[in-house]
Amino acid sequence: MKTILLIEDDKEIGSFVKEDFEYRGFAVTWVISGENIEEFLHNVDVVILDVMLPRLDGFTVGQRVKRTMPHIPILMLSARTSVDDKLEGLRFADDYMTKPFHPDELAARIEVLLRRQESHRPEMMKVGHLHINLKENRIVSAAGEEIILTAKQYQIFSYLLTHPNQIMTKEQLYEGVWNEPYINGDKTLMVHIRYLRERIEKDPGNPAIIETIRGIGYRVKQ
Amino acid sequence: MNRLKRSLLSQYLLIILIAMMILPATLMLLSTLFFHTLYKTEKEDRFYNGTDIEAMWHKTAKELSSASEDDIEGRFTKLKSIYKDASLFWIDDSGAKRVSVPDTLSIRQNWSISDAIQFMKKSRGDTADPFTVVAFLGEKQNAGFIVFQIPRSAMESPSDLLREKYDFLFIVALLVVFSVFIIISALFFFRIRKRLLHLQKAMEIPENTGIPIMISVKQNDEIGQLEKSFNLMIVELEAGKQQQWEEEKLRKELIANLSHDLRTPLTTIRGHAYRLQKEPLSEKGKESAALLDEKISYMGDLIDNLVSYTLLSTGKYPYHPEQIDINRVVRKSIADWYPTFENMNFKIEIAIPDEQLIWNIDPQWFRRILDNLLQNIYRHAQSGKFVAIRVLDDMLIIEDHGPGMNAESTEQGVGIGLSVVSLMIKEMKLTWDIHTDENGTRIEIRNQ
Repeated sequence: MKTILLIEDDKEIGSFVKEDFEYRGFAVTWVISGENIEEFLHNVDVVILDVMLPRLDGFTVGQRVKRTMPHIPILMLSARTSVDDKLEGLRFADDYMTKPFHPDELAARIEVLLRRQESHRPEMMKVGHLHINLKENRIVSAAGEEIILTAKQYQIFSYLLTHPNQIMTKEQLYEGVWNEPYINGDKTLMVHIRYLRERIEKDPGNPAIIETIRGIGYRVKQ
Repeated sequence: MNRLKRSLLSQYLLIILIAMMILPATLMLLSTLFFHTLYKTEKEDRFYNGTDIEAMWHKTAKELSSASEDDIEGRFTKLKSIYKDASLFWIDDSGAKRVSVPDTLSIRQNWSISDAIQFMKKSRGDTADPFTVVAFLGEKQNAGFIVFQIPRSAMESPSDLLREKYDFLFIVALLVVFSVFIIISALFFFRIRKRLLHLQKAMEIPENTGIPIMISVKQNDEIGQLEKSFNLMIVELEAGKQQQWEEEKLRKELIANLSHDLRTPLTTIRGHAYRLQKEPLSEKGKESAALLDEKISYMGDLIDNLVSYTLLSTGKYPYHPEQIDINRVVRKSIADWYPTFENMNFKIEIAIPDEQLIWNIDPQWFRRILDNLLQNIYRHAQSGKFVAIRVLDDMLIIEDHGPGMNAESTEQGVGIGLSVVSLMIKEMKLTWDIHTDENGTRIEIRNQ
């Protein structure tokens, strides 16, 4: 069970979020101030942090958390919409949401943050006819055949898998996998995706797993 | 008095006064020097003046009235040594030449009366050269006459020569005095100019702080006073700026707090609406819960736009333009909006070229424009089930097949969202056109 540390001073919002996440199968530790949270941090997978807190503001708390526990993802919740706030928040936080957020969207974003962490990836995923063991980097088709991918192909696929249902632009995908700026007109990604499809799709001419969103990028639907 | 002493005006008046006094003083000094020198050269035994020479000659004639021929010759030789160019001779009563100095003087030996008259005629007048003086020797006019002739050229006194030679000195001296005056004046004004320029430079407003730097006041004259006032102005400017900054901070805080105070209860309402949706509800109840949720989103966006509009219209919305590839930003924005339109079964047409299209704009602002426009389509043009986003020829086109902006929408409030777009477009020096009718809306954004 994943544990969420929720730092929110508003009683109504706090209790509601706690209840909602517990209903979704998480353990939630809820505190109303950012002081003395160190004891919880060792036992936490993700932090939901409100910007406007009494005494110690959310930015300071967030930066402290990142300093002591850099691997714990932080999602900032803000009722302020100033662009400055957002930019400052995203300097250290992994995600940022403005109130009034939809509980489903908050949950989805928390899932994404958790999945991004290698250690918290679900072991097994099923996408289309494929069974994917993310721990062992093994992909097995419904027919029981193991599908062998090159390193780049696997990186591309797993990048799309860690952002399920999200459309990744070609720039995002290229820069996420190659770790260097995308150069316009570069066909490398396209070529890799074509070969990747030949391996994983039942009908590469009519792909069912990696969807092309014309003019934008790619998406893996789960 | 002290104040007067420090005044630039009195300083300059002093310069003029000195110049006015120095001019006659110089003239006097020069004359004195000049004549002193001349005087020295004039201390000679000889005369240059015709009248003086005539007097001298008559005096000589008188003194020689009963002198012997040798005495006369001796006297003539002595005079010759003084008047080097002169010719002197004695014609006695009988018309015979007795003494002539120099000896080589070509003079007829015997003079008739007509000779004498002719000689006299020739030697008369102011212009006759040589200058001739004739005097009867002795008081009785029977000893003949003595003649003194000297070329006019030898009559010019050294002082005249000197004056002629050094006349220009006066002009030079005057020029020097004038130049000194001009140089001093120029220096005086140059110094003033330099200080004024210094002040002017100090007044130029630096870009980072917007407030000039104080300057050090070294003198207490008019410019010094100006510098003092300038420094005083800076102090006040800084105080004003500080106050303005504090007010601005307060206002920003106020807006942020207002937004916070509105959003917090909205979040709670949404939480409860969400909880309600999970309860077993009638169809109508479900509809209400969904509508509640929808309205909460709408309220959130409204607050967002209201805050943005307030900040934008007062120029307080942070703006950081940079060279960005708008194709990339548009692509990312659509990637986020795509599922929303997809879920509503929109036909989505996208045409974004592969090449970069660089605009110098703030990416956050541009993102905001796209979000607002797409949000409008999502809220007000659902019936058209169509959205197209194209980039071509340095232009972004967003199109829908909704009922148009003039149609009565189920929800009001297109206004504030579009106002934010309009302000941002204007601020980023872009232009836009809206073509809207009952068949849809087409928005074109161009880089100027």
